[in-house]
Amino acid sequence: MSGGAQYVVAAYAVIWFLLLAYVVVLGSRTARVGRRLEAITRVLDRREGRDGESGPPEDAA
Amino acid sequence: MTPSLTTDGPVRLRGERAAIIWGTIATVLVVVSTIGVFLVAPEDADQGIIQRIFYFHVAIAIASLVAYGVACVAGILYLRTRDRRWDDACEASIRIGLLFSVLVVITGSIWAKASWGTWWVWTDPRLVTYLIVVLIYVAYFVLRSSAEDDRKMRYSAIYAIAGFASVPLSFYSVRVAESFVHPVVFTGGGANMPTSMLTWFIMAQAAMVALFIALLEVDLLGRRSERALHMLTIRLERG
Repeated sequence: MSGGAQYVVAAYAVIWFLLLAYVVVLGSRTARVGRRLEAITRVLDRREGRDGESGPPEDAA
Repeated sequence: MTPSLTTDGPVRLRGERAAIIWGTIATVLVVVSTIGVFLVAPEDADQGIIQRIFYFHVAIAIASLVAYGVACVAGILYLRTRDRRWDDACEASIRIGLLFSVLVVITGSIWAKASWGTWWVWTDPRLVTYLIVVLIYVAYFVLRSSAEDDRKMRYSAIYAIAGFASVPLSFYSVRVAESFVHPVVFTGGGANMPTSMLTWFIMAQAAMVALFIALLEVDLLGRRSERALHMLTIRLERG
């Protein structure tokens, strides 16, 4: 590359790499929260299903 | 804010739609402006291909200052309302602003090496004052980690408002300085470039502002989701 093209390539490579890395970090955080939300939803659904079968829980005291 | 918990469909969170819309707008604008900058915009007669760094370098610099402005407004709104969401917006804006600032410093240094033959000029007011702005906002996170809860949010808001005073310092430094090497493209008389270049600069600027909004929406969505998840976990543990 001549005429300074390598500097232009370097500048834009830095821009896209850092922006993409930031988006990946944000995306992975959102995906992790989504997975945990789904897991909690499943637990709550299972619990509600069990409560529905056995009726309201009795007071242990 | 709590998500709708049901297995009938996917879990939907408030702000998800806005994040998708702004993400799409930003992606389209970034792609179009990149194509325009490299394939349509004319080559500068003086600097040649190196001048193409200008389009995104300046657009990201202005977007970073917009981010700091948004953080300042969010800080004011937090102090008035004590609503935690404004603290989230303030911190997220500064985080994205710092990301943009890092890009500005790196691309600026690359452009300086190509144009002036050196990575950094310590005597240039624009470069030095912009670096000061960056360091001021880095210190925001140091301050944030040194306090907790309400004090943390209150001090952070005050710092974000006070820190914004450094932005005009950077913006006007190059205009009031007697000697400098950093070029001034936008003056009181308008833009010192032909319309064919200005069009693509405006497009790149719109892309960077849209990208800032998209990143802010996604960041805030993540924070809201984590908070909702935390509340749900507590409820689940309590049975």
